[in-house]
Amino acid sequence: MKRWLSVVLALTFAALVALPIGAAAQGKDTLTVALPSHAPTLDPHMHFERVGILVNINMFDSLLHRTAKLEFEPSLALSWKALNDTTWEFKLRKGVRFHDGSTMTAEDVKFSFDRVLEPGKEKKKSPQYGNVRAIKEVKIVDADTIHLVTDKPFPLLLERVVFFPIVPKKHLEKVGEEAFGSTAAVGTGPWKLVEWKRDQHIRLEAFDGHWRGKPAFKYLVFRAIPEVSTAVAELKTGGVDIIRNVNADLLPDIKSHPLTGISTTPILRVHYISLDMRSAPFDKKAVRQAANYAIDKQAMLQKMMAGLGRQVATVVQPAAFGYDPSVPPYPYEPKKARELLAQAGYPNGVDITLHSAAVDWRPHFEALGQMLTDIGLRTTVKMWDPGPAWNKFLQAEGKATNGAYGSWGNYSVFDADAVLHPLYHTEPGGWIGKHYARVEGLDRLIDEARSSVDQAKRKRIYAEIQRMIREEAPSVFLYTQNDTLGISKKVAYEARPDEWLWLFAAKPKN
Amino acid sequence: MSAFLIRRLLRFVVVCVGVSVVTFAILHASGDPVSLIMPEAPEADRVQLRVALGLTDPLPTQFVRFVANAVRGDFGKSFFHREPAFGLVVERMPTTLALTSMAVALALGVALPVGVYGAVRRNTIADHAATVVVFLGQSMPVFWIGIMLMLLFAVQWRLLPVSGWETWSSMVLPSVTLAAFTTPLFMRLIRSSMLETVNLDYVRTARAKGLSEWLVIFRHALRNAALPIVTVIGLQFGLLLGGAILTETVFAVPGVGRLLVRSIVQLDFPIVQAGVFLLAIIIVTVNFLVDVLYVYLNPTIRLR
Repeated sequence: MKRWLSVVLALTFAALVALPIGAAAQGKDTLTVALPSHAPTLDPHMHFERVGILVNINMFDSLLHRTAKLEFEPSLALSWKALNDTTWEFKLRKGVRFHDGSTMTAEDVKFSFDRVLEPGKEKKKSPQYGNVRAIKEVKIVDADTIHLVTDKPFPLLLERVVFFPIVPKKHLEKVGEEAFGSTAAVGTGPWKLVEWKRDQHIRLEAFDGHWRGKPAFKYLVFRAIPEVSTAVAELKTGGVDIIRNVNADLLPDIKSHPLTGISTTPILRVHYISLDMRSAPFDKKAVRQAANYAIDKQAMLQKMMAGLGRQVATVVQPAAFGYDPSVPPYPYEPKKARELLAQAGYPNGVDITLHSAAVDWRPHFEALGQMLTDIGLRTTVKMWDPGPAWNKFLQAEGKATNGAYGSWGNYSVFDADAVLHPLYHTEPGGWIGKHYARVEGLDRLIDEARSSVDQAKRKRIYAEIQRMIREEAPSVFLYTQNDTLGISKKVAYEARPDEWLWLFAAKPKN
Repeated sequence: MSAFLIRRLLRFVVVCVGVSVVTFAILHASGDPVSLIMPEAPEADRVQLRVALGLTDPLPTQFVRFVANAVRGDFGKSFFHREPAFGLVVERMPTTLALTSMAVALALGVALPVGVYGAVRRNTIADHAATVVVFLGQSMPVFWIGIMLMLLFAVQWRLLPVSGWETWSSMVLPSVTLAAFTTPLFMRLIRSSMLETVNLDYVRTARAKGLSEWLVIFRHALRNAALPIVTVIGLQFGLLLGGAILTETVFAVPGVGRLLVRSIVQLDFPIVQAGVFLLAIIIVTVNFLVDVLYVYLNPTIRLR
């Protein structure tokens, strides 16, 4: 104890002496981004944190890149095609350099996949394993060609390699995993690591040998600022240039400030109330439909979300592959809702309980509960801590409940499967669907679409699914949500629908 | 003297044991840690992990093992960082201690002169003004003071950086915020403690000797008035470490408090345990040191 104490005291003193006196100059060639926190590691394969991915994508390249319009674009792979149902061929870009000066080879690509897949190992180290588990083998065909072989048809493969950074085999084996994740991260991306001060900043510098050319900003800094109001204050004073996840209540302030503005875009996240179809009253279709007619989605969007969102017909949204625009959303018809409720045998209404762990959306949840109460579904809303309590709730299979309000971010995969499977599939691997959803024939359709690489066929199946769930209403379908960035007027940058911060696209403004 | 210190030392040990019971309980009160570590895993894997972590042993055995490891600074690996939890906490401790110490120094620097002045010039306008400030300061929550100071000094007047811990200037606002929380208490205490002493006989005697007022107040009266103040500094130190949690979050200071807040949200129990344990030990140690200081300041205590 004493030893620790003296060490701590000595460090305290050293920490104080080591600090510079004046404020660090914020040069014009520096772009500073505020994140709520840093990921535990810079190693792009050993975490699954949004805040980490945002840093990684600016330091590492993957085989494919996605444009701001969500189209695939060549990155480390120049071209790609499916040779058959289970084999994809990628032609690699030649002469790509890592930050340490070495040239990227097919070996590095195979090494990167293998360190996540860990073939033959029972327990996998990487939390991203689930994303690419379908890949059975990575074959080096020749110096510029690799094959990714999947165990069954896997239509989401291209989506999965958009964020799958390629790391240098030789360098990583030399420095070891720990150093690679903290001080010696090396990729092929536009910026290279200068220093990482935990909970303070990650400082990157433009990499001269990057194949796209030089980014507009020489330095890129990711500061860790947990408190939103602090991040906003930093934005207004030029301490940071970009902040993420600006809530509706902060918008007017940032918009009207002379030095700051906003950029907003629809993202993949969709809001819903999942209904427990196993028991009364939501075992009846009419009651589920009544709940859908009861919600005034436009009022929610306008009054509570600053108009930044879009009503959806089901949980499949416009940006996702498989979206069918011909399926109409439920209109707001409280009268019809009451009639349906009466038809189902509840002329005097019925008491229900809804649950949620979406702490930030509590006011929205309460408003939804009020609208349901207004048509006779007298709702008690119950908020849970997102932590252990919510886990217990889920582990109890959501029992003693009638539904759950929440939102789903599709894991950033622009495909209908990414929302349909977790919400509605009843197999054990599914998420809330295994407890709540009981739509006849839906499992089979989801599986069928999942195991085909024929995109026309998948589209047909998803259209069928959307009409089916629109009618069966296993959820109350609500709206999508926007992501809004606060941006300094000195910087030109647009928010992306995948919530990425691809800062190679950022330019200084005069 | 030794009897007094031994009694205090025993109390110190008892508190340490209590602290370890509480930190040990944190993990077990929050349900099954295994289902938190691997929520989606099949039951067979969970059983395996439970055995590996020793969670199937009887509770007393587990507790003894926990204490044995804790004494060596081994709280296990953080679920989130995959690094030893204790190291992550210790790494951030200097920042938190620096912030807390600066706040105490700042608070004393303000409270001492103002408190003494209030006692000596009792019921003057300045004294009443100080009382009003005391009430205001104590009624404002730390995070609110922090945000207000930030808006004024950093956003409006651009005098200081908004947040961070990179330069001396960036340390001003967090320290002032934290000090604002404790200055009023010090001030009030110094004032009332001084009020008691300035009217005592020996002070009058000192005055009668013809000593300067300055010497009388600061050498004779204050020294005796210092005892309760020292105690309260010890107690406040603990409160300030708690206040540092909010201050660190508001000003993005890379300290222990912020790590703890995030770890609680992420259910990273090894870090929470290591952090609570270390903070508690520091507080207990500070209080023990205060007791020792007591003996030095007031020789009569040795006799009790």
